[in-house]
Amino acid sequence: MQIVVDLNRCQGYAQCAFLAPQVFALHGEEALAYSPAVPDDQLDRVRKAATACPVQAILVGEQAGADAG
Amino acid sequence: MSTETLFRRIADYASRADPYPLYAELREHGAVRQDDGSYLVGTYDEIAALLHDPRISSDRRRRTVPDALGPGQDDVPPAFIGLDDPEHDRLRRLAMRPFGPPHSPGRVDALRGEITRIAGELADGFADGKRIDVVDDFAYPLPVTVICRLLGVPSEDEPRFRTWSDSIVAGFDATPDEDPEQRLRSATEARRAMALYLGELAESRRGHPTGDMLSALVNDEGPEGSLNPIELMTTSVLLLIAGHETTVNLITNGVLTLLRHPDALARLRDDPALMPQAVEELLRYEPPVQMLPQRTPLADIEVSGVTIPQGAPLILVLASGNRDPLRFAEPDRFDITRPDNQHLGFGSGIHSCFGAPLARLETQIALTTLLPRLGDLRLVEDPPPYRTNQVLRGPRHLLVEAAG
Repeated sequence: MQIVVDLNRCQGYAQCAFLAPQVFALHGEEALAYSPAVPDDQLDRVRKAATACPVQAILVGEQAGADAG
Repeated sequence: MSTETLFRRIADYASRADPYPLYAELREHGAVRQDDGSYLVGTYDEIAALLHDPRISSDRRRRTVPDALGPGQDDVPPAFIGLDDPEHDRLRRLAMRPFGPPHSPGRVDALRGEITRIAGELADGFADGKRIDVVDDFAYPLPVTVICRLLGVPSEDEPRFRTWSDSIVAGFDATPDEDPEQRLRSATEARRAMALYLGELAESRRGHPTGDMLSALVNDEGPEGSLNPIELMTTSVLLLIAGHETTVNLITNGVLTLLRHPDALARLRDDPALMPQAVEELLRYEPPVQMLPQRTPLADIEVSGVTIPQGAPLILVLASGNRDPLRFAEPDRFDITRPDNQHLGFGSGIHSCFGAPLARLETQIALTTLLPRLGDLRLVEDPPPYRTNQVLRGPRHLLVEAAG
């Protein structure tokens, strides 16, 4: 599973870093660092993180592939 | 009726079960001046813009027009919810250190198992075939147990917080036309008592950390130092009250809304993986914080063609923005798979809800725990009796019983 975060949209609310701390992390106070390839055991957490993003900046799966191209 | 009385009509207890028609009236008129000199805004784009506007203060001491909330409690300084940057930013970051990223990224996630266990135990305690009060038997004890555990507050002291918390929240009960003096005095006293209690508890952890947030707040020294004793008290009071008065309403509103929408309930029972989206929709459709009553412009600003003067009380009605048809298709429909749901349930901008990740997790787990039982339950009273508060809105009790 692949994810893409639209970093123009991201405003550093960090909701994803709470919900899937092994995939999303804050670099400093606001900048987001994330792993684009999601291990299977993190899928559920990543989906929850994408749902919770206040600016809907996280694209998951096929959606990520299509929009990232 | 005159739009100058809209806030009074929203605050009227008779509107509590369904304030949404009044919000629709509010949206038709853009920014609306009330006869006491305060202003209401209820459209999505305008609220979102104001929440990101540095000319809008959260500090009620910046008001020049008296408001229904009464004078500021100037003997105890505001917590970060009632301060502006840079003070707000410093205090919020210090409070975040033991709670979330970047310093404590796994803290909330690590509570998952314990929240599931507490929710399961509460649900197992429901007596068979008897009426259940979703509020007293489930939605209240769950977040309260969790916030006490997280902060490191002994749960046997919980009845004392409940009394204090009730008084403090009644202080936000901005019912116009009522003499607020007694109510505000009780709120101030309760806030002081809670602050002293939490301050002493934190002090007892200095040098003796017990792995909780109070211990971390009093012992951890970051590059910016740590909270001073007064800041520690106001911050921990804020977190404890927020843990008492908000998630309870989100969970209860969730049960109420699902019982009113059997189609959505059936879908969730078939596919519980939809729960996170359902909770986001709930935050849009029935947000536990209906409005932000303590904003104030620092300069004259124009909103929807209306000039709101510097110092006037400005009330942002989040629950109305969440039903704005210019932003959400079919806004009055509860749609658990709604796409692009950028609701205002947790606010937006620099004051966006500090506890949002915990509230989400608790509510997702709470409703998932109840899901197998909800299909067999029916509401005893619809609408249920509501709390008086129009800001932190939710049922006071929610009686359900076995259907059939």
